[in-house]
Order: sequence, then structure tokens, then C-alpha cells
Amino acid sequence: MCRRPRRTRRAGRSPSLPEGSRMATAARPDPRGHDLDELDLYTIPIHSSWFSWDEIHDTERAALREFFDGSSISRTPKIYKDYRDFIINRYREDPSRRLTFTDVRKALVGDVCLLRKVFLFLEKWGLINFAAPPGRGAGGGGGGEGGDDDDGGARRGTVVVEDGAPVGVRVVAVPNSGRPVILPPPAVGRYDGGKGSSVGQFRLPSLASYSDVFAGLMKQKGLVCGSCGGTCESGCYEYTKGDFKICVNCYNNGSCGENKSLDDFEFKEGKGSSASHAALWTEAETQLLLESISKHGDDWDLVAQNVKTKTKLDCILKLIELPFGEFLLGYTNRNGRDQNVDGNANNTSQVQSVTSELPDQTKTEERSNDQIEEIVQNQINDVLNEGPPLKKKRAASLSDGGSSLMKQVSLMSALVGPDITSAATESAVSAICNETFCPREIFYGSMGHISNGSSVPAMNHLGRDIENGDAEMNDEVPLADAQGPLPTRSHMPLQVRAATATALGVVAARAKLLADQEDREIEQKVASIIETQMKKVHDKIKYFEHLGHIMEKEYAEIDDLKGLVVSERISILQKALNAGISRWRDHFSLKPLTGS
Amino acid sequence: MPMKPLPSSSARVPVKFKIPTADNLVPIRLDIEIDGQRYRDAFTWNPSDPDSEVVVFAKRTVKDLKLPPAFITQIAQSIQSQLADFRSYEGQDMFAGEKIVPIKLDMRVNHTLVRDQFLWDLNNFESDPEEFARTFCRDMDIKDPEVGPAIAFAIREQLYEIAIHNVTSARETRISKKGRRGFEYVPASKAGGISLDLVKYFGHKTSVIRKRKDWDAFEPIVDILSSEEVDALEAREGKTTR
Repeated sequence: MCRRPRRTRRAGRSPSLPEGSRMATAARPDPRGHDLDELDLYTIPIHSSWFSWDEIHDTERAALREFFDGSSISRTPKIYKDYRDFIINRYREDPSRRLTFTDVRKALVGDVCLLRKVFLFLEKWGLINFAAPPGRGAGGGGGGEGGDDDDGGARRGTVVVEDGAPVGVRVVAVPNSGRPVILPPPAVGRYDGGKGSSVGQFRLPSLASYSDVFAGLMKQKGLVCGSCGGTCESGCYEYTKGDFKICVNCYNNGSCGENKSLDDFEFKEGKGSSASHAALWTEAETQLLLESISKHGDDWDLVAQNVKTKTKLDCILKLIELPFGEFLLGYTNRNGRDQNVDGNANNTSQVQSVTSELPDQTKTEERSNDQIEEIVQNQINDVLNEGPPLKKKRAASLSDGGSSLMKQVSLMSALVGPDITSAATESAVSAICNETFCPREIFYGSMGHISNGSSVPAMNHLGRDIENGDAEMNDEVPLADAQGPLPTRSHMPLQVRAATATALGVVAARAKLLADQEDREIEQKVASIIETQMKKVHDKIKYFEHLGHIMEKEYAEIDDLKGLVVSERISILQKALNAGISRWRDHFSLKPLTGS
Repeated sequence: MPMKPLPSSSARVPVKFKIPTADNLVPIRLDIEIDGQRYRDAFTWNPSDPDSEVVVFAKRTVKDLKLPPAFITQIAQSIQSQLADFRSYEGQDMFAGEKIVPIKLDMRVNHTLVRDQFLWDLNNFESDPEEFARTFCRDMDIKDPEVGPAIAFAIREQLYEIAIHNVTSARETRISKKGRRGFEYVPASKAGGISLDLVKYFGHKTSVIRKRKDWDAFEPIVDILSSEEVDALEAREGKTTR
């Protein structure tokens, strides 16, 4: 589908458009530049997308060679363009009625056979008569669109409106009323590899370029505002004392996060400048980055020194983009201090600020949720210190989490290993049991030993964990196991099953997502390869055709020249003979004329 | 890379005579009257058919139309003489230079009256009058199946006449004493009466789009006549019903 504004006719010609139409006054129409008022959108099928109002495409040159080989003054590219533009405009006067050849030939000067050829060409490519009702009589050559099908669709004949598009015909939302339609962005379309399924309204040609198809998938990596979670496009304000960014809106609103004042923010250039930075971070670089951050913390100069190939800015950006980037920074900042509740409060406040989209719940639930989050988050943080290289594999960051708690939990459990997930579940469950009575019953049943006594040790365990801080997963697992046998046998399977089911399910989902991603990437690569090969072959063919053409012309010319030379020679000899000069015979004998 | 136009584009080397259409068919017109009975017909004949076919055709026509047998010889003779005419031109040269000629249609076929004019390129040896006639009938929604072939025949006939004219003019030029330049000069001046002046119509200063007021002149007119009108016309022409 292409948009082409209506142009004024060239001077000296009477316009042939109906009175009510509006005409764009620009001499050189710019399809993108006009606002919608001036644009008169012209719908043509996707396989004719090569068509350009201002130019003559090679397809036209190849199909209507007579106009372009300079063989006659009555067939020039300009004349061809006049014919073409006139026919198309005539059709556009009323797209819902079928334009017949007789309509146009009465208004054009030229050989009717040639005009018919042009007409058939335009009709075959769907540049005219695509939205018109089917014609009478033979479908054959004059019938309708359906010419250039890659699938070799044998269907000839009439154009069909969008639902029920025949196999092999590519039609872009053709409304029955003939009103031109604005094409939605191609990313909306379903890409099914160009196969023959007619599901969905849009089908792209099978060699669509990557950007046509995957535009939606290509995420624009932008800066995420720390306080509102939106992307900062135009510019962002960076906290000078730390690593925190807020977007322009938040700055204006004054919501800059806790413990910060507006004065501490300085304006930073928008995405445009950062786009120029090298965006490629290899694994080695990322690992180096994380290590240097854990060593140097906030000192970006040292960090940038360590990661030699990236500037300070790049490092900061990359860190923010990584999941837990900011939290890691916050964590390492407090690495030296004791792991006490204050530190956690900071962590959790960050968590809370990011996940501020939790749905409304009752106060008690909120509190318990927060506690759980805090606990789980804490344990995850414990692990982080051990395994920075693993972190980059986790594509989803916490800040992307949705509004539901389950999503949060599943995300978190996906980000860490199964051991940790089970342990976290255990402690979370115990925390819940501390709050309310019912879950306690579910998990621990009617066991007598479930009393405040045992729940307290659980709490103590947690408290000790918080206080110890550093990764002591090994300690935790036995603890969890110790708690495990306490419940009766009948409830063990339930717990275990629940935990493993969650973990497995999440892992499976992640694996599928990754596989899909791989799939898409492969498809994209193959498509681009095929496209370039095709283009190469096309170019070669064009070149050779051109060459052949030139050769033919040259041959004809030489032939003519030869004829002229021969006749000239004859006349000279004639004259010589008439003059009675006999010595010509001495010099050479009359050679017989070779066939001409 | 635009092609340099051939210097001799307007004065091709003369080609052998043929009907300038994709199919080499000769238009044959018959108008025979014997004892008050009149037989008029027009059709195309393939000159590569053997001559024996002529007699067979004549016999069958007489039988189908229930004409008196005297017609057979007359029909056969007429066809043969026209074919001979055609063959006499065949060996000779004619000009095939770029020539856009106006073709006019003004005919009545049974109940349909057709009037039209358009341009035709004489040099286009791939032209197909039958295809044009088919499109014409389809676009104008003509129901009578005899109209199409009649239109094609009319076109062919006019092309034939112009081709013959080309041959005669070529013959005359050859014996003229203009020498080498004669080949180039003649098409422009001598045949200018029939064909269009290309420069005038296709040059840079003019547009190939006709003015709106001219459209009616070039629009085909198709009238369906009532039976009375047909009878009146026929009586005027003195035609027997076929």
C-alpha cells in the first residue's frame, strides 16, 4: 500500500478530476510530508508497491519496452508516463466503477493497440480496477488482478475484497466502498512466512525485510525512569550523587524518589546522544563491568578504566539496563556495613518504588506481601553476589514485573535457580503461616507441634538470615529441610509438589520463550540472506538484459551503416563507369556484394 | 541509461509487403448480384490456404444460404481475383515506417450501428484487430456476436488499403530519380495525407491527452436500431435479407 497525494496536472492541460476533489498544490509531492488533509490515499495491492508516481520503474520498462528503446518519436518515456498517469487518474475519479479500455482510448492520442497494452499492464498489476466489480465477459487477460503470484496461483479474473482473499493474491484491506484506506503500520500484520494461509488480514510478501516484520519485536532500549517506570525519550534528569534517572515529566512533577532533592538532578541529553554509543556489550565486557562495580561501587572512572572498551556513560547505561542493576549498586554500596534491617529497608523501598503498581489489596495483605517480597528479594540478593555472570542471562528485570503478586513471584523464581526457589518458597510459606491461621492449617495440618513455639523458631531463622546477610544458602537448605520433616507425611507431598510444580512450570515457560526468540532470529537471518541473493540475481539479470539490448541496437546500426556504405560505393563506381574511367579495373575487381 | 534514438527511425529499410497485423489475413469482400438476388459478405481469408479451398467454400456458402448454383462460380472467381491481387503485392516492398493512421468505423451489423474512430500504428506488426474488436464489444456491452468480427474486418480492410498504398508509393519512389535521399523524404511528404504527423502529435510541446471537448469525437457510438429502422435502411441500400 502506498500513499500518493494528488498532484496538479502540468500546466497547459485541462484537469480531468471531478469538481469535488482536492488537489495537493506541491509540485513535487512528498508522501510523508503532507498532513492528512492534502493526502488523497491511493490503495494499491502490496505486490505493486514498486510503483512510484514520480518515476518509471524497471517493471514498467521491461513490460512496455517500446516506449523506452527510442524507436519512435511517438513512444517516449514521457508519453508513457502521460498515458499511465491519465489512466490511473481516470480510474481514481471513481474507483468503484470498472474502467474500460474504451473509456480511456477515446481521450488518448496514439496507437490503440499500444494503448491497450499499457491498459492491460496497469490492470494486471492492480494499479487500476482493483476495487472495481468484476468485468463482464472473458476473465482472461483483461479481467483483473491476480497476475504476479509467487505461489503460482492459477486464479485469474476478478478482484475480491478482503475477506475471502484467494490463495496467492495479496490484497491489502480493500474496502468495498472503494474509499481509500490508511494502512496500519506493518508490524500489526501477522507474519506467517508468506505461506498460503489466508488467515488474518495482512500478509506480507515472502521476502519482507526484517524491519517490516519484526518492528514490534525490536525493542527500543531506552532509559527507564526511576520513579515512574516510563521511558525517557526527550531527555532525562540524572541524579548527580548516585545512579538514578527520572524522566522529564517526573522532574517537573517533583517526584524524584526518596532521599533526593530536585536540585541534585542534572539534565542529560535524550536518547539521541546515547544512541551513538556503542550498544554492543559482549559477555566478557558485562562480566568485567559487574566485577568492577562490585569492587569500585560508585566510582565510575575506575569502572570505566577496568572495562576498557566502554566509556563511563556506557557503563552506567548498561548497568541500568541490566536487571537488578540499580539494586546491585545499592547493595554493593552497603556491602561494608552490617546487614541489618536498615539496609533491607532501603532495598525494599527501592523494590516498592519500582513495583508500585501492585493492585489494591487490603492492608494486611499488602503488608504480608511486602514482607514476603522483602524476604524473597533479600535471598535473591544473597545469591547475586555469587553469580554475577549468570545475571545477564535473565532478560526480564524486576521492574518489568506486572501487577500481580504471582507474576512477581514467578519472575523471581525464574531468575534464580530451583534450589533457591524451593528454599524461598519454604520461608515464604512460613512467613505466611505466621500471619494468618488458615495457611498454617493447610500446610501443617493438625500437627500438635504447630504452635507459636515452632513458628517462633521459624521467625528466628529468618531474622538470623537477615542479620547474617552473606550467602549462606548451604545453611539455609538444611534449615529448610529440618523444617521439612516436621509436618506430617501427608502434607509433605503437597508442599513439595507445589514447589516443584511452580519451579518447573516457570522454567518451562522461560525455555519456550527463549526458543521462540531463537526461532525468530533465525527466520530473520534467513529471510535477509534470501533477499540479498535474490537482489543479486535480479541485478545480474538486469545487467545482462541491458547489455543484450545494447548489442542488438549496435548490430542494427552497423547493418544500416553497412548498407549505406555499400550503396555509396555502388554510386561512386557507377559514376566512375559513366565517366569512362577504365583504370578502376586495374586497381581492384568489383567484388560481389555480400548479402545485405 | 537512455538509448540514443536510431538515426534512421523514420525511414526503415523497406520490408516485404504483408498485412500489418499479427495474423496475415486478407480481407475479402463479396457483392454479387444475379437475377435480382444479391449476396453481400465480408470476411477474412488466410492466403496460405490452398486454392482448392476457395471452391469448397463457395459451394458450402451457396448450400447454406440456399442460393442458386450460379453463385458458386461467381463467388469463387471473386475470391480468387482478390487473392491474386493480394499476392501481386506480396513480393514487393512497402514502407513500414512509423505510421499512425486514423481508422474509422461506420457500419451497421444487423441491429447494431457502430461509429467510431481511433488511431492505429501501421508499423505494429503484432497488432490484432480481432482482439480490439473483442474488447470493443465487451466494453460497449454488445450482445450481437456478429458485430465483433465485422469490426475486425473493417479494420483489416482499411489497413489493407493503406498497405497497398504504401506499396504503390514505394514503387513510385524507386523509379524516381531522387537517389539515395529518396527513401527518407518520401514517407513524410507523400504519405502525409493519410498518416499523422508524428512530430505534431507526439512532440514535446503537445500532450498526448486529448482535450475534453474532443473526447466525444473519438468516443465510439453504438446504437441499437429497431426492426423498422433496420428495414428502412435496408430498403434504401437495396439489400436482400440473408
